[in-house]
Amino acid sequence: MLAFLLWVAALALVVSSFNGVGFSAAEFVKGLPQMGRFAAGLFPPSLDRIEPVLWSLLETFQMAIAGTVIGVILSVPFAILSARRLSPHPVVQWLARALVSLFRTVPDLIWALFFVVTVGLGPFAGTLALIVDTVGFCGRFFAEAMEEADRGPQEALSALGARKGAIIACAVLPAALPSMIATSLFSLEKATRSSVVLGLVGAGGIGMELEVALTFFNYPEAATIILAIFVLVLIVEQLSGMFRRRIIT
Amino acid sequence: MTTATLAADAAAPAARKADRGPVAIAATGIAKRFGAGPAVLEDVDLTVHRGEAVALIGANGAGKSTLLRCLLRLVEPDAGEVLVLGERIGALSPRALRRVRTRVGFVFQKHNLVPRLSVLSNVVHGALGRAGLAAMHHATAPATLRAEALASLDRVGLAHLARQRADTLSGGQSQRVAIARALMQRPDALFADEPVASLDPAAGEEVMTLFSGLAREAGLTLLFTTHNMAHALGHADRVIGLRAGRIAIDARAAPALAPQLERFFD
Ligand SMILES: Nc1ncnc2c1ncn2[C@@H]1O[C@H](COP(=O)(O)OP(=O)(O)O)[C@@H](O)[C@H]1O
Ligand SMILES: [Mg+2]
Repeated sequence: MLAFLLWVAALALVVSSFNGVGFSAAEFVKGLPQMGRFAAGLFPPSLDRIEPVLWSLLETFQMAIAGTVIGVILSVPFAILSARRLSPHPVVQWLARALVSLFRTVPDLIWALFFVVTVGLGPFAGTLALIVDTVGFCGRFFAEAMEEADRGPQEALSALGARKGAIIACAVLPAALPSMIATSLFSLEKATRSSVVLGLVGAGGIGMELEVALTFFNYPEAATIILAIFVLVLIVEQLSGMFRRRIIT
Repeated sequence: MTTATLAADAAAPAARKADRGPVAIAATGIAKRFGAGPAVLEDVDLTVHRGEAVALIGANGAGKSTLLRCLLRLVEPDAGEVLVLGERIGALSPRALRRVRTRVGFVFQKHNLVPRLSVLSNVVHGALGRAGLAAMHHATAPATLRAEALASLDRVGLAHLARQRADTLSGGQSQRVAIARALMQRPDALFADEPVASLDPAAGEEVMTLFSGLAREAGLTLLFTTHNMAHALGHADRVIGLRAGRIAIDARAAPALAPQLERFFD
């Protein structure tokens, strides 16, 4: 009976959602010509400003790299403090967990806005947003990897008089490392995609170029930018996938 | 077993104490239960003398592993006192407790090596208690520690595998490396919890002979649990049997003891 009520409730939620967003096949069909015109306007992509576009693409990638590297490094202590059995105190564990959750649940665009307001427009604000986002992601998964590490070697090192720090360094981290590297590479892919969008709110990178091109209806240039983003994300995903396959052994 | 032999066993230790030298490990009144479960250890008294080899036997679930862990506070006993190498460990600070643990090598049933590290790094870890993070990895350890680790490996006959990853070893090799790691501690005593139970009989016999031989050679106190009557009688001076949370037999190891030990194996 309860199951049936839940199904009805779920169905009601879905139907009301369709209504709420004004979902309409007619509107969609009416919009089709406009979409066609937009798509046509993208061609042929313009190479007039290819040089500045490539520079901001590089800036985007640098933001992703810097944000991920610093974020990954900061994630390790956060993970240790928030992992079961490794945390020095339940209160510390709760605090670290709460902070990582906050970093993760607030969207990266909001973090970017926050840093644009506090440190000003530009790639530094974007990088800070990526760091926070990375800690939110890696902090959690690093902690899980550490909690899943085999207890046997940890007990053995504890039995021979090692301190907690030594046990973490010698038994926990080696066990968690493959998973942590995979998570870090995922995080780099995520940061590359995010860093593209962060520019839309003025936090540096190629998103700023895209925003300008769209504002001035310069669709051929927007096409170039979109293609450039596509190629960058594709390359990062391919490389990261390759490394992940090689490292996980 | 008859009451008469039990009484004889009980009377014997006091008489023999004099020729056994000083006490290495003394536990009195150890009790332990996990959560709301039944009592695993009820009132255990146990004495091991320096240089003595003692086998701890008992059916599956009798509490052998728990007792061994209580002796180093890897499991916190609910009651009782433990004296290890002259230290009353119940009252020690974490730091002082680590110092005592450093002096006792502990070999587990599952070798408990760090799988992704080299054999040599795993042996170098034996010095973590006294050298701290200098003993974290073979590549960063001082040359003296590396040389000592290689010498320990040589004592178990595996110096040639030093650079191999620990997870490429066979069960018997892994257990030897675990022994080398324990020797690296420069221990005064060795504990082992069914050290060869997961090996095939031939490899088990070999490792057990090596292990008790090394302990005897170096004059180390040896306390091991076993599921194997031949190992208990062949490698120990004394056999202690656990049953229903208490010590049910404590006697000098001798072939004639075999019938009385039967009920401690399942
Ligand atoms: N960490 C633990 N939590 C709960 N119960 C445990 C734990 N360790 C051991 N026990 C229980 O204590 C009893 C004795 O276990 P153990 O000391 O491993 O016996 P043995 O080594 O003689 O086989 C068993 O019933 C086991 O289930
Ligand atoms: Mg056991």
